[in-house]
Amino acid sequence: MAFRARIWQRRALIVALRVARLVRTGVVRFLPGLRYLGRALQQRWRRSLQFRTVLTTLMLAVTSFAVVGAYLSNQIANNLFQERLTQAESETRYNVKQVQDTFDGAQVTDQSSVITLVSDTLSAVEGRGSVIQRRYVFEAMPNQTKPRNRWVESRASDQLTVSVIPPDLRKAVQESGKDQYWASTVIPVGTEDRPGIAVGNKVTFNGTVYELYLIYDLNTAQQTLNEIQSVLWAGGAVLVLLIGAVAWYVTRNVVSPVSHAAMVSEKLAAGQLQERMVVKGEDEVARLGASFNHMAASLQEQITQLATLSQMQQRFVSDVSHELRTPLTTVRMAAEVLYEARDDFDPINKRSAELLYNQVERFQSLLSDLLEISRFDAGVAVLDAEPEDLLQVIAHVIEGAAPVAAEYGSEIIYKAPEDAVVVEMDARRIDRILRNLILNAVEHGEGKPVTVTVAANGTAVGVAVRDHGIGMDQAQAARVFDRFWRADPARARTTGGSGLGLSIAMEDTKLHHGWLQAWGRKGDGANFRLTLPLRQDGEITESPLQLEPKDATRPGAPGSIPAEQDYKNMLLLQTGARPAPARGPEETR
Amino acid sequence: MKARILVVDDDEALAEMIGIVLRNDGFEPVFCADGAQALDVFRSSRPDLVLLDLMLPGMDGIEVCRQIRGESDVPIVMLTAKSDTSDVVRGLESGADDYVPKPFKPAELVARVRARLRPGDQKAPETLRIADITIDVAGHTVSRGSERISLTPLEFDLLVALARKPWQVFTRELLLEQVWGYRHAADTRLVNVHVQRLRSKIEQDPEAPEVVLTVRGVGYKAGV
Repeated sequence: MAFRARIWQRRALIVALRVARLVRTGVVRFLPGLRYLGRALQQRWRRSLQFRTVLTTLMLAVTSFAVVGAYLSNQIANNLFQERLTQAESETRYNVKQVQDTFDGAQVTDQSSVITLVSDTLSAVEGRGSVIQRRYVFEAMPNQTKPRNRWVESRASDQLTVSVIPPDLRKAVQESGKDQYWASTVIPVGTEDRPGIAVGNKVTFNGTVYELYLIYDLNTAQQTLNEIQSVLWAGGAVLVLLIGAVAWYVTRNVVSPVSHAAMVSEKLAAGQLQERMVVKGEDEVARLGASFNHMAASLQEQITQLATLSQMQQRFVSDVSHELRTPLTTVRMAAEVLYEARDDFDPINKRSAELLYNQVERFQSLLSDLLEISRFDAGVAVLDAEPEDLLQVIAHVIEGAAPVAAEYGSEIIYKAPEDAVVVEMDARRIDRILRNLILNAVEHGEGKPVTVTVAANGTAVGVAVRDHGIGMDQAQAARVFDRFWRADPARARTTGGSGLGLSIAMEDTKLHHGWLQAWGRKGDGANFRLTLPLRQDGEITESPLQLEPKDATRPGAPGSIPAEQDYKNMLLLQTGARPAPARGPEETR
Repeated sequence: MKARILVVDDDEALAEMIGIVLRNDGFEPVFCADGAQALDVFRSSRPDLVLLDLMLPGMDGIEVCRQIRGESDVPIVMLTAKSDTSDVVRGLESGADDYVPKPFKPAELVARVRARLRPGDQKAPETLRIADITIDVAGHTVSRGSERISLTPLEFDLLVALARKPWQVFTRELLLEQVWGYRHAADTRLVNVHVQRLRSKIEQDPEAPEVVLTVRGVGYKAGV
């Protein structure tokens, strides 16, 4: 057994050294490339089910083939060796007996005839190997009294000396009686070393005990083993490759419909509703494809239906708009003609003309607000944004609101930077938002000043409209942007407006990707803050203005409500298409 | 002499009401309720201004507008029930000078009509130049070299307003006031659309304007 172990050891060592050298030079030379390759493989491992499956299959196959191959080759080697050993032992037994017989029957006369006899006998042993090339070592046992006529000390086949016999074997042979022993060894043949078996026993000649070792060359066995092993390796490699290919093919068959489905659903999600999977056959994959297509079809149908509905809605709104507006125009003109001529009427008709005129106006503003809201609901409101100076728009709105403010006895205080603030906006909508906020503040400001503050930072501009009227509490402020909502239902109709103004303002703000927020405290007025991104592709990080005004009564100050309650009264209503922080940094101050 | 105004509207009540208001203000209204006949009535009545409803039976108001504009520079004011951007812009692009959204007040309508009928205030002989364009204000003609360029009165007024003060940048609001006669805020798309139309007539390359320049974030100015 030991001979194979040693050979394996040596081979393994050589292979290991080579691999180590290869790895060392490779790592030094190709380190960046290897890192890249490693990353690429890692990514592929993560992202490709097929790659992972094939690689796993290959690794498992290689492992199992290595185990099976090792076992097989071990078994074969064992059997081969055992067979050779049995043969060697029996041949040795026979040959030793032959030699002993020859020696026993020999006439010992003179030195030369003895030498010839020994040589001949041993040569005969050497040649007699049938299957195995057989050689010998013949050595007188040490430490015995040397008879006078001992002419032969030792003999050996070509290239052999007694040193090829393992000392353990020699010791065993020397110490035993007439028993036969064996050991694995390495023998030089030509220029190479070959594995062999040495079988030893003792023969006696002419009063001297000799050790006779017959050495059997295992080269043919080794070659057979090598051949079997190479066949095993080759077969294993081919099988592994085949298994890999099979795994690749099978996973491709399973994975490709899945990735196809993924691709198709991405296209569907991107709006290409007519996209479908290719369905072949009747297997599970085909069923997947068919049900996927079914799903896509019903999705498409529903979306188309929704789109049609939305179109119908849009058309309806447009039609209603036209149908209502034309008679309303006539009524309005007629009402105005009557109103202009009211001084010629008797008091009853005069008052009627006035009522008619005012209510037609109100009806008209309600209708236009309703239509505006329905446009938002139908999703047909479009942003017609262009860079314009916000300050001009604000100044214009304030100018327009001045007569109303004068009516209420309010003063509008305007605080703005000196330089123009150019904002990408739909001026018509921004005008509408601001007009709404400012008129709202004037209406609820109880004659106290209304402050309009403008400030800009790198990404956004803020406009705050602050009044000092009766204010509102949290519950009220939370609903301030609701449609038709009024703070005090009892006083609902005393002030004008449709009840849709702030809802429209909110929708307009959303269209600009801005924020519209309200702060209120009972008895301390309200503050509405509009924040707009300077550019429509930009994003608001924070508003340049505080939502809670600086002049708000601080918690704990005389006349203010307790702190806890006060905090609740701080309304933090955030809106806008883009998510805003629940509480901006400036609100926490 | 009374200015004659063609009212193209299929709603009889509204047309009658408009007629009452116009007559009250000293105009002479002519009516047409069908888009398909509008062009014939236009040819026979030779009005000084057309009030045109966008939604008409027979023929789309926009098409009527295009046809009238095809043979006359007469001012056209649209009556629109839709204030949707696309409809207004389509109307303006088809050649209308101005629009009045329904429901309008009588005063509003009359103001629009008057603004467009404004007799070109007795213009002194005056020749203006911007870029390679020559404007004869009194003669109401515009030319590049020897080539005459035909402009509607509105486009002419717009060009003259810009050319008179080549150093000034005009905001859209200012142009609305000076050219259209709006005293309060109006739809700045009017200006945008008409500047585009003007450019398509007077610019060598409307994509790279040299006569009417855009001042980003502010408005427009004349090229030097």
